[in-house]
Amino acid sequence: MSSTARAEAPAEPWRRRLVRVLLYGRNADRGAKARGRVGLAIAAFATVYAVIALRLVLFAVAPDNHVARRTGSQDAVATARPDILDRNGEILATDVRMPSLFGEPRRLIDVDEAAELLTAELPDLDAGELRERLGSKRGFVWLKREIKPQQQQEIHRLGIPGIGFLSENKRVYPNGAEVSHLIGHVNIDNQGIAGMEKWLDGQGLADLHRAGFASDRQQKPIELAVDLRVQHALRDELIAAAEKFKAKAAAGVVVDVNTGEIIAMVSVPDYDPNNPRQANDPTRINRMTTGVFELGSTFKALTIAMALDSGKVTLSSAFDARMPLRYGRFAIHDYHAQNRVLSVPEIFTYSSNIGTARIALTLGVEHHKWFLRKMGQLDRLRTELPESAEPIVPKRWGELNTVTIAFGHGLSVAPLQAVMGINALVNGGYLIPPTFLRRSAEEARALATQVVKPETSEKMRYLLRLNAEKGTATKADVKGYYVGGKTGTSEKVVNGRYAHNRLLNTFTAILPADKPRYQLLLILDEPQPLKETFGYATSGWNAVPTAGKVIARIAPLLGIEPRFDLPPADRLILGKGQGTVASNQ
Amino acid sequence: MLRLLNLALIGALVLAAAWVYEIKYSSTLQAEAVARLRAEIRRERDAIAALRAEWAQLDNPDRIQILAQRHLTLKPIDATQFDPLDHLPERPIDIVPPGSADPIGALIETMVDPEVMTGSVPAREERP
Repeated sequence: MSSTARAEAPAEPWRRRLVRVLLYGRNADRGAKARGRVGLAIAAFATVYAVIALRLVLFAVAPDNHVARRTGSQDAVATARPDILDRNGEILATDVRMPSLFGEPRRLIDVDEAAELLTAELPDLDAGELRERLGSKRGFVWLKREIKPQQQQEIHRLGIPGIGFLSENKRVYPNGAEVSHLIGHVNIDNQGIAGMEKWLDGQGLADLHRAGFASDRQQKPIELAVDLRVQHALRDELIAAAEKFKAKAAAGVVVDVNTGEIIAMVSVPDYDPNNPRQANDPTRINRMTTGVFELGSTFKALTIAMALDSGKVTLSSAFDARMPLRYGRFAIHDYHAQNRVLSVPEIFTYSSNIGTARIALTLGVEHHKWFLRKMGQLDRLRTELPESAEPIVPKRWGELNTVTIAFGHGLSVAPLQAVMGINALVNGGYLIPPTFLRRSAEEARALATQVVKPETSEKMRYLLRLNAEKGTATKADVKGYYVGGKTGTSEKVVNGRYAHNRLLNTFTAILPADKPRYQLLLILDEPQPLKETFGYATSGWNAVPTAGKVIARIAPLLGIEPRFDLPPADRLILGKGQGTVASNQ
Repeated sequence: MLRLLNLALIGALVLAAAWVYEIKYSSTLQAEAVARLRAEIRRERDAIAALRAEWAQLDNPDRIQILAQRHLTLKPIDATQFDPLDHLPERPIDIVPPGSADPIGALIETMVDPEVMTGSVPAREERP
């Protein structure tokens, strides 16, 4: 710059002077102006470079991932779901990628040729419907969801324009019907429509799907409390029992007494979630949560626990069971009638209706109602499963209702509900809502409410064990596992009357009875009397031996150590000194 | 002097441009490689999922039970077949001293020894 100034100074050609005068005026100080302009230019360029530098830094800090996004665009239509595992990590449900066939009718050249070639390759495709779909004016039509990889290869080789594939996630249940009711199933778009699958959608997965995320399989698997091995053993025995006793249905549940975890839940007949069309059949409902039943004598456990917990009745209290209990035009009879005065343990082991009704009457209707509500038997039990049923509670609850409900008639509850109540009776008095998810004992304790005293719980364990030693549940007393239990045989209501030949048999077992860890509840719906049961169809002849078989199979799986030569219940559970009950038997 | 600086700057500019181009080009390559690897991982993961599903299907207890009943003579385990750990007998004393480099040689040596020693009758000094 300075060199040009020096060259300018001595002689300026006249033309250049003219230009200068025209452009800048006669007396302008060009030096100052130029400096100002240079300053301005520097500032402008500095700003531009600063912006560029800033952008660079921003790019470096947050790299845009358009490359990754591009690769994922051609698949993942149906959304991914997390795997569902059992408590040992066995897969109960998983996603498998399957190609699906679609067509773009606008890009098709010859509809008839395409339809012909495709039906040759996929014989189960309806030709008329296919032609109609391909002939439509739409931009995109699904032709067949979930085709086999080799079919995809073949169709690809045909080279029909306007026909393409998208790979989709398909839900697969490798264990078939084994866990059907518990896990539920999904529809063709991979949305949960029953069981735990639906629960999963409710946990925010559905929102993810709608927003278009959740197409990858990088989702954390869901671990359930169910143990597949126990589930299988239970289901296998239930199917065998339903077949043997010609029962319409059978159901069973195994629950961890201290945490409320559902280790197994079966209701046969069930369905294959890979083929969920069967699920709509009303005989295949989940009897454990969706059905409500009068559970019969199993309910006596609740009545007797209520009496013992109130303090007004003790184990040595006696009740008159000499005569049938007349109430209005009804007479309550005993099935195993003893026709004498019975103590509380005798009422329990002989399953005396009269005795239980009298016990309930000593406490009154209001107390009975209050206790059952406290035990969660009068309100709908909600678990993770979307399916649940409201118990059928009498609208006007009089003394007669208390009499019948005391021995399990006149109040219909979901079996899982009764399981929760009986759990509380044996685990030290904690009412813990059952769950299908993993839960530790501490978490359960935090959720639990104390509903009966620990001493009452101890007495109930004793009574249940006594019933397996000398009551109606002897056939379930698998040696080594110290089982306790209570049977129930209830007659079903047909046209408003109790039908003597249509029974609903239940049996609830706790094991081991001195320090319960698991509870098993079995239901047989309308079992028939057999020759080998001597024409009996009551619970002790079918549900109880079935439970015995189940326990013998599942106890080793559950890690229950067999113990032999244990003393009888009155010594082991109640302690040695209190032999009063044993002495009067 | 100034011309030299300018030339140097121009040279630096060209070099920088070449360098940036090189970086840009290699980063594109890298991004493509990443995308390819991602796709491959995704494919592998899908394959793993399919295999795991198949495994679970083959591992299904119902199927195993049917196979076991057909081909094996095994019976369900009985409670009496379990025994607690404290019923386990004491471990017999090793014939061969533990940690010996040549166990067979040590075994022969103990047999050659005039004082024959068996597992149940250990040498006096080895008895606990």
